[in-house]
Amino acid sequence: MGSRRLALARLHGLFAVYKPSGLKWKHLRDTVELQLLKGVNAGKPPAPEQRVRFLLGPMEGSEEKALTLTATSVPSLTNHPLVCGPAFTSLKVGVGHRLDAQASGVLVLGVGHGRSLLTDMYNAHLTKDYTVRGLLGKATDDFCEDGRLVEKSTYDHVTREKLDRILALIQGSHQKALVMYSNLDLQTQEAYDMAVRGLIRPMNKSPMLITGIRCLHFAPPEFLLEVQCMHETQKQLRKLVHEIGLELKTTAVCSQVRRTRDGFFTLDDALLRTQWDMHSIQNAIQATAPRVAVELEKSLRPGLGTPAAPQP
Amino acid sequence: MRLVALAARVRLGWRLSGSGPELRPGRGHWTAAGRSRSPREADTPVFQYVGERAARADRIFVWGFSFSGALGVPTFVLPGAGPEPRAGSRPRRRIQPVPYRLELDQKISSAACGYGFTLLSSKTKDVTKVWGMGLNKDSQLGFHRSRKDTIFSMGNNSYGQCGRNVVEDEIYSESHRVTRLQDFEGQVVQVVCGQDHSLFLTDKGEVYSCGWGADGQTGLGHYNITSVPTKLGGDLAGVHVVQLATYGDCCLAVSAEGGLFGWGNSEYLQLASVTDSTQVNVPRCLPFSGVGRVKQAACGGTGCAVLNGEGHVFVWGYGILGKGPNLVETALPEMIPPTLFGLTEFNPEVQVSLIRCGLSHFAALTSDDARGARGCGVWCGSHGDSGQVVHLMLLPDRLEPGPGLRATWTAQQGVRGDRGPS
Repeated sequence: MGSRRLALARLHGLFAVYKPSGLKWKHLRDTVELQLLKGVNAGKPPAPEQRVRFLLGPMEGSEEKALTLTATSVPSLTNHPLVCGPAFTSLKVGVGHRLDAQASGVLVLGVGHGRSLLTDMYNAHLTKDYTVRGLLGKATDDFCEDGRLVEKSTYDHVTREKLDRILALIQGSHQKALVMYSNLDLQTQEAYDMAVRGLIRPMNKSPMLITGIRCLHFAPPEFLLEVQCMHETQKQLRKLVHEIGLELKTTAVCSQVRRTRDGFFTLDDALLRTQWDMHSIQNAIQATAPRVAVELEKSLRPGLGTPAAPQP
Repeated sequence: MRLVALAARVRLGWRLSGSGPELRPGRGHWTAAGRSRSPREADTPVFQYVGERAARADRIFVWGFSFSGALGVPTFVLPGAGPEPRAGSRPRRRIQPVPYRLELDQKISSAACGYGFTLLSSKTKDVTKVWGMGLNKDSQLGFHRSRKDTIFSMGNNSYGQCGRNVVEDEIYSESHRVTRLQDFEGQVVQVVCGQDHSLFLTDKGEVYSCGWGADGQTGLGHYNITSVPTKLGGDLAGVHVVQLATYGDCCLAVSAEGGLFGWGNSEYLQLASVTDSTQVNVPRCLPFSGVGRVKQAACGGTGCAVLNGEGHVFVWGYGILGKGPNLVETALPEMIPPTLFGLTEFNPEVQVSLIRCGLSHFAALTSDDARGARGCGVWCGSHGDSGQVVHLMLLPDRLEPGPGLRATWTAQQGVRGDRGPS
């Protein structure tokens, strides 16, 4: 009883954190779990149970010096934290779509009963938004800026039009793949209605598919892309930058991958490093709970009920 | 003993060189693995694959039914003609389902598709050459030189569509006869050919026609054959026409103010909005209020499409029109949702810039004003024919050579895309 249990009862649901680059997702999850445990254990403990013990003590108001047994109610020490340690030693925290160590951005975590919502989010196959920063003129072995240099090349022939053309080509071929992997019979009216609403996308395993890609900023050698994709890994996004460089007849590496939206969690919902404590997380869970419920219910409705990415 | 010592020294040497980055003393201090031995980034050579002012070459892509040779690749029809050994045992390719690049030495300026044949034109300094491939049963192909501003016609003239008088029992195959047409007032800026008739548009905005008129497609007020190009009247009198479209027996014209006129066959409800008769032999104005200002029209065998000033496509007629399997025929234009052409909140500025029709399929070229990139969507209906275009789909879908497509021309059974310079 007490505020600890209440605090724990409010810790069930989904929330998003901002993962800085350089941190592994597993360490982040462990850190969040530790901070939550600290918060829960710091709450007021329940009042200790009382038990009756017969204590030997001098009788009051008597002149005899003999010790007699008196019944007293003393607190029981069996649940004292100094005896058996903190009340809660582990909390079940799950991670949604992972981010690798060099990437940064929105990472969705689930606590307690919220972990089943993580599975639902995965099965909804929603798209994610990334901003990817590339650097022309270099090629490395792991497509990152600090990898082993493989080749350097000139890039003064690259213009914004050529880059836009390559991006349109990529988007077009992925559009075809979206339709193919969605396993829809295109001759039906339902397929037509879904296509009109822009909802065609695969609802089971598929390779990385890009639903939208465009260049936000181009200042050679740097360029900034915004990618909307699904079923991706960050390494595949870096490889995409490398392949864009090859298509432009030069080379490119990726200097930053940042996730700006994961399903319906955006950067505004993501908690910063300073906010990874129990109260902020509880507030975040409560703030996003209605939106999560609505979106997941929409997406799990059979047939036409699969939403595309919400407005960013 | 010596062998053993040698082996030991070799092994030592390998070990020394193998553990280089970690143990090599370098300049007397330990440096991070992988950094000390690799050459400095500034010392690596810089490769140049493309010069600064490299320009893109124009390319032609072909796809569709290839038995007639209309695609222009000999090995599709006669595998033995290829340079590879034992190519003759390979079966000939019936359908080319994805765009295939046609390698030509000449720079092609325009292309047109007919029923089983293709004509390409290339401009050299003083002459324009016409190249043809495909069926030549009626001598529709033939090497011929032309100067600018003159119209020549060749091929089957059984209905006078070549603009010259019909000769009874004329044999059209292996004929070298090419007629020069000169009876127009003004320069001819556009020529469109239907199934058995031809339409000409002059720079003054006047329309001339010749050929078969049993469905009224010549628009001259009668249902007879016309052998000489004659000016059209009806609702087109006094109207400055900027574009003509025809493919089968129905014709559409777009005026400079954005109005639409139609005549010809109306069995498939193409002109049913203004008249109930199935043959209209005088051009009639088609006042479609929801369409807005018409920029371009395209007429297929049974369906028609127009493109308005905002980049929206409207279809009507019969057959697979692009609005799902439930819409089979309509007399009034219906807009195709722009999401089918790639409009999303990610790309809000996608607009259709060009439309063309084949006998039973449509093609649209999109352009994104913000990015200048172009995509191509093709949708088609099959009336039993297979493999007409890339996908037998009801939905406009993007093709791979999307960006930079300047124009596409469609034929009954083949489609051609031509990549422009940008």
